[in-house]
Amino acid sequence: MTAPHNPRFAWLTDPGDRGLAIMLLAPLALLVTLIVVYPVLRLFYTSLFDHSLTSGLPPRFVGLQNFGLMLDDPTFWTTLKNTLLITLVTVPGALIMGLAMALMANMPFKYHWPVRLSLLIPWALPLAFAGLIFAWFFHSEYGVVNDILRRFGFQPVIWFNSPGWSMTAICLTVIWKTSSFMALILLAGLQTIPRSLYEAADVDGAGKLRQFWEITLPLLRPAIAVALIFRTITALQTFDIPYTMTAGGPGGSTATLAMYIHQNTVSFLDLGYGSALAVVMFLLSMLVTVLYLRMIRARG
Amino acid sequence: MKHLSLAALAAMGALASPALADADLRIFISSQHQPDVWRQVLDRFEQATPGVSVEIETGGNTSEAQAQYLNTLMSAQDPSLDVMILDVVRPAQFAAAGWTLPIEDVDMAQYLPAYAEANTVNGKVVALPAFADAMFLYYRTDLLEKHGVAVPTTWDELREAAKTILAAEGDDSLQGLSFQGKPIEGTVCTFLLPYWSLGENLVEDGALTLDEPAAIASMQLWKSFAEDGTSKPNISEVATDDTRKEFQAGDAVFAVNWSYAWAQAQSDESAVKGNVGVARLPAMEGGQQASCLGGWEWGVSAYSEHPAEATALVKYLSSPDVAEFMAVNGALLPAFPQVYEDAEVLAAAPWFADAKQVVETARARPVTPRYAEVSEVIRTTLNAVLAGVSTPEEGVAAIQSRLARVLR
Repeated sequence: MTAPHNPRFAWLTDPGDRGLAIMLLAPLALLVTLIVVYPVLRLFYTSLFDHSLTSGLPPRFVGLQNFGLMLDDPTFWTTLKNTLLITLVTVPGALIMGLAMALMANMPFKYHWPVRLSLLIPWALPLAFAGLIFAWFFHSEYGVVNDILRRFGFQPVIWFNSPGWSMTAICLTVIWKTSSFMALILLAGLQTIPRSLYEAADVDGAGKLRQFWEITLPLLRPAIAVALIFRTITALQTFDIPYTMTAGGPGGSTATLAMYIHQNTVSFLDLGYGSALAVVMFLLSMLVTVLYLRMIRARG
Repeated sequence: MKHLSLAALAAMGALASPALADADLRIFISSQHQPDVWRQVLDRFEQATPGVSVEIETGGNTSEAQAQYLNTLMSAQDPSLDVMILDVVRPAQFAAAGWTLPIEDVDMAQYLPAYAEANTVNGKVVALPAFADAMFLYYRTDLLEKHGVAVPTTWDELREAAKTILAAEGDDSLQGLSFQGKPIEGTVCTFLLPYWSLGENLVEDGALTLDEPAAIASMQLWKSFAEDGTSKPNISEVATDDTRKEFQAGDAVFAVNWSYAWAQAQSDESAVKGNVGVARLPAMEGGQQASCLGGWEWGVSAYSEHPAEATALVKYLSSPDVAEFMAVNGALLPAFPQVYEDAEVLAAAPWFADAKQVVETARARPVTPRYAEVSEVIRTTLNAVLAGVSTPEEGVAAIQSRLARVLR
């Protein structure tokens, strides 16, 4: 049962392996070009212009001037520092918490669903909700955190009145929110480790801790790498939680680079400078991705 | 409601205009501005202009949230909105970005002068007033009476009054004064109130004229309230609606707030119903009493597909009849001087009699297309000072250097 053969459409009915691959990939390539490549190129282009909607003037080409302004902009450095701090604290924090949660979920409980559900809930909760909810937890008068402190005889803390405590509250929230994502990826990794390895180790007399270091951790390395790449990039882009918890306060001391980009573009309507800041964040994310990929390749 | 009779509508020039075509208009009204009361006004408009329907879109319960939403929509040149409500500080920015259409044939002299000024940019009318507003001193009439304390006219008197009452009441949940210290728009006014009271201007002819001693005095005043127990130590967390709630719950003797707090403080859910006094905000020692001008404006979107109909709607919404209706039914302050003397308005809100003078003498925040930046500098700096992150002197130096770059 073959269709009448028409040589003009031969490439369509029998494209060959290479041709088929191109045809199947074309829609995706087009989509990625439209929603990723074009906007990124456009971002680089806009970053070279003095383009402020409040000036009432048309965009003016200024070369790298926006990047030069950044060097003298203390807010840029503060927000960059805060972003890196949040990344350095919350990525390892979420990895440790996530690993503990994954190991727990992988234990042979009779009922898996309560553990797995509690893994899923923080992950499924929108970031902004998490921020708003935790802002109430940490509220100095009505918050549950201070209530607990009082019950145990400690002095309550005015969390959002000091840069250090505000940053602590933000990092705790980010770790709570993101460790379940880590746990989900790590749980998937754990389930690929054959049980027979542990049985063999039992026979050889290796203890649980030894099994964790010698079997679980090495075999989990690819899953950890994937989880770290995703988590680090989203950590560099941290926006929702500090935005909803502190709005950058007190006095801008907890604002992140993503919040500063948002402020410059959406509030100040300075598209040129905002784009230049976004270029920096893009390059930072690329750098991290490349470093991780090289690390995986070097090990693998 | 006699004021919104169809006859009155028909008498209005804007609606008699024959050019109106059939149109479905969409109007943005923020959720805290009583969209349900405006709906009644829009129903009358629809009745008087057959073929034109108006749908309300609500969103964002803070000025910043609304500005961000509208900024996104307008920079995408989205035609879905025809008319939008704008905080009094925004029309200049919207006009500079080309987002609002100029409105012609309006007698701006009919409005309170401050609103005529806020809505006119480079000689063009870029928006029309929806309602007026200003900051007031709210106080507990029962507590002041009980302890024989007069309504303070200076901030130092307020401090003493609060001290007397707090000491006598001995109630831990009661605070002397609630004001805004969170990095939000209201905190800009917090900074400006004592600064203006000392007779200083922040911006003159588009140039920065920051008087450092007055600015430091302002920051020191607010900081001292947080330190000496007049206010709560967590004042850097307090937003406008927190102040409203604290006062309404009976947890504050004095509060700095906009007029919207009145209706809720006097509602049945309020713990202080019947015990609410409203007065002019106190002055600095040796200064004048000053208030911060608020209010909201109607703008016609430059991307509206029905500009003629949208303009007619805005002219209607910004008419004395509607102002009177909103004063009676929504307790919104009118932008028309004569409406403050209307018997029906005074029956519904007797304190409007004194409010006119406050609105008339209230000072406007700087009118500049880059207001968003001015606001951000002031509110984050005061917030940092209140949280003890920087000293008043450091804060004022930061404002000077950062605003000098914004206002060249």
